[in-house]
This record gives sequence, C-alpha cells and structure tokens, in this order.
Amino acid sequence: MRPFIKALAAEMIKQHKNYFHSKMIYVSLFVWPFLNFITTYYSFKVFDIGKSKIAYITAENMVVYLLLGYMCMSFFRSLVQSAWNFSFERISGTLELIYLSPVNRAAVLLGNAVSSLFESVFVMLIFSLLVIVMKVEVLIIKILPCITVFFIVTAMAVAWGMFLNSLFLFSRDSDFLFTILEEPMEIFSGVKVPTALFPLWAKAISIIFPLTYAIEAVRRVVLTGSSLYEIREFAVIGIGITVVLFALISVIIKRVESHMRITGNITLF
Amino acid sequence: MNLKVLYGTMKKELMIKYRAYPAHFFVGNTLTGLYTVLGAWMMWKFLFEGNMAQDFSEITGTGDYISYVVVGSLTYLFVVRTCLNVSRSLITELREGTLESLMLAPFKRAEYFLGSMLVQTLTTSAEIIVSLIIAIPFGIDLSRADMGAFLIAFIVSLYAFFGVSMVLGSIMLYTRDTYISQNTLFAFLFLVCGISFPVQYLPEWLRVIAEVIPVTEAVNLIRVTLLSGSGISEQMQSVQYILLLSTAYVVVGFMQMKRCEEIALEKING
Repeated sequence: MRPFIKALAAEMIKQHKNYFHSKMIYVSLFVWPFLNFITTYYSFKVFDIGKSKIAYITAENMVVYLLLGYMCMSFFRSLVQSAWNFSFERISGTLELIYLSPVNRAAVLLGNAVSSLFESVFVMLIFSLLVIVMKVEVLIIKILPCITVFFIVTAMAVAWGMFLNSLFLFSRDSDFLFTILEEPMEIFSGVKVPTALFPLWAKAISIIFPLTYAIEAVRRVVLTGSSLYEIREFAVIGIGITVVLFALISVIIKRVESHMRITGNITLF
Repeated sequence: MNLKVLYGTMKKELMIKYRAYPAHFFVGNTLTGLYTVLGAWMMWKFLFEGNMAQDFSEITGTGDYISYVVVGSLTYLFVVRTCLNVSRSLITELREGTLESLMLAPFKRAEYFLGSMLVQTLTTSAEIIVSLIIAIPFGIDLSRADMGAFLIAFIVSLYAFFGVSMVLGSIMLYTRDTYISQNTLFAFLFLVCGISFPVQYLPEWLRVIAEVIPVTEAVNLIRVTLLSGSGISEQMQSVQYILLLSTAYVVVGFMQMKRCEEIALEKING
C-alpha cells in the first residue's frame, strides 16, 4: 500500500506543478467558465423564458439554474482536461519511462485525476459563491444532503477522470475521444435542458454520462431542498457508477500494458 | 509564379492529418457539426417549444432561430478551424523540432500560411457540408439563399479569419502557449461575435469590442446572404469594412509573426 500512496502523492505533486507553474492556469479556472456561462445566459435570452416547460426555470432563477449546471460541468470538464494533459506524457516521451518503472499504473492515473480535483473544487467554490451572492433567496439548502451529494459527485468525477486517462493510454490519436465525450456531455447531461424533457432516444444517451446524475442531484438539493431520503436513488447510482468505472479502469490498464508489450512502441502509436 | 512552398505545405498538412490522426480527422470533424446543430435544436424544441422572445425577431428580422443559430455556429466552426490550423502551425513546428529546419529552408511565410489555410478550408468545407445536410431535418431554411453573394461573402470571411489567426499565431509563438490563448480567444469570440444570439443583447462596451473584430461582421454577412437572400451589392459597405479591418489584422499579424519567430528561435532551447 505504501508504494501506491507514494506514487499517488508524487504524481499529484508533479501534475499540480505542471498545471500551476504559470499564472495562466487561473485563466482556464475562472475566465473560461465565466465566459461560457455569460454566453449561455445570453443564448437563453433569445427565448421566451416565461414559456419554459420546467417550473423552476423562471426569469428570476434562470441564472442559478444555469450556474448550477455549469458548476457541475466545470467540475467534470477539468477531469476530462486532465486526461488530455496526460496525453502529453506520450509526446514528451515520459510515458515510456513511467511504464519502465515498477510504479503502480492505477496510482499514476489516480494521481493525475486527483490533482485536477484541486482546481475543480476551486471552481466549484467560486461558482457557489456566485450563486449565493446573486440569488440567495431561491436556494433551499439542507446541509447533510448537500455534503453527501458533494462527496458522491467528487468520487464519480475522479473515477470518470481516471477512466478517460486510461483510454488515453491506448493511442496518441485520442483527440477524437473529446469530440465523442466532451461535447455530448454538455448537450445530453442536462446542463442547459433538463433531461426530464428529453425524448427517449436522448434519455438513453444521457444515462451514459455520470454528469447527468450529478447535475440532477445538485439541482435537487440546492433548488428544491431534497432530503437524504429523497436523494437515496442518486446515492446508489453514484456509488454504482464509481465502482463500475474503477473495474473498467483496472481492465483497461491491463489490456494497455499487454497491447504495448506486443507492439513494443508507445511513443508513436 | 513558383508556388512550391504552398503545394509542399498543403501536401505535408494533409498527410499529417490523415496519417497521424485518422480517427480525429474523420470521426471528429463530422461529429462536431452534428453537435452544434443538436445542442441548439434541443434547447429550442424541448425547453422552450419554439417560443422566441419578441425582441429576437425585431432585431434579427427573422423568427427562424434554427437557421440563425446553425449558420452562426458553422461560421464559428470555420473561425476555430482556421485558428487551430494556421495559428498553431509555427508553434507546432517549434514543438516538433522542425522550426529550425524550416527557417533554414527557403521558406516563404505567405505561401506557408496560405497552404495551411487552404488545407483547413478544404477539410472544414467538407465538414460544413455534412453539417448542413444534418441540419436539414432539424429545420434549417436556405430557400432564400443567394449563392453568388454567399460565395463572395465566404471568400471575404476567409480573409477575415486568416487575419485573426495570424495575430493569434504570433501570440502563441511568443508565449509558447496554444491551450490558454486559443481557448480564451474562442470563448470570447463565441460571446461577442453574434454566433448564437444577436450582439444587441450585449452591453454597449462589449459591442464596441465586437465591432473591431472582423469575425462579427463576417458572421453577419454570411447570415444575410444565406438567410435573407441579400445580394452582394446591398452589402458592399459590410464587405469593405471587413476587408479593411482584416487587412489591418493581416499586416499586424505578419509583422508580429516575424518578430516572434526571431524570439522563438533565440529561446529554442529554453
């Protein structure tokens, strides 16, 4: 267990230094989510908000509704980005070194994902403050369900980040994974349109993304004051998803290594 | 006129695209268009059931949100692709270790960047055609399009995008960063250039900034030629404005790029 923790800590420190070596990181942490959020806010203004089909989307709390969606998405997105950053290990030639060392592969992936969590929590904090400052009157929050949801969402996000990291181990041509995972995540997870309004085919896609459950749970505990009992379904699904993702990760890590042993080349392909 | 550098660059760029990144080249490019259309359509259809704000049709002159947003988003896709291809070309050479050899060769900047731009135009055009076909069942209405005017608007817009990408490229080469600079610029352009909503919704100071970015007017020009069938003669003022503004961007971009190349070469080993 000790080597695992050592590798995990080392990878976290390394990636953290990698991300925060320049102050430019704060642009991606604050400026991007803010610009995206403002754009979506104006994109909603072209519609007649009074005629929306969801009761809790009104002109008054539309900002909070969107902020919550974006907060969750930024949380997950930074982990997707961490996976993308991990692909630079291949370009820089350090992936080979990692594989030559006797380090636990899962510890490296987990370290990379958890280091992004630090920035995710930072973003979440800023968004939460924004929500509180802008519309404290529309919030109906119970502390315990909120904390529970936070921890389950965090576990799901880390597992999702690790899972993507492991997929990026397969090939350097993994940019397309972003195209098939990141943009659909925004469309189908209910960031802008609640999944309850989706037709069956769209609902079927939305269940793939852990973010769908995260957004729904966060909106329920923040906007409708759901109790622990009322979010029990989310808790079961969230823990279930995390377990399944960890199982998949361990299978992928093994397959990647045997694939690499056959091809003998991990720098180019 | 010897266009060897232009052809050479085009050939190299195409080979890199389909040999080194085949999955992204074929899968990624096609899907991006689908997502753009789908995202806007789902908001319009499921959340608001087609109910638009009253001032939307007053400002834009159309109640057809889907056509408005699809044309805007696909034009934006062109901006992004141009910036990704042209702006990143030299910094990629630097990263891959080929900048020195490139500088040693009889390297004509204009042809080199134009070559990158043409490859991008070809691939993105294919991507846009796929997206437009996808957009038909979602309700895009191009029945009033003036194709002649659109073609001129398209070429003028490409010049505008080229100008923006040259300025961005010099910033990238100077800062040796692509990730932060490109994504910040893209997010900002998406906000201020009237892609998914009219710029009139923005505060006054942001509208002033939008006016000095040629992309804003280019998006407008493409929209009017495709959606309201406006002839190019009616849009001459807009065309002149884009050409003038883009020329300023191209001149500044080329001057800065040359300076940044020198700085990048000096700092090539750290």
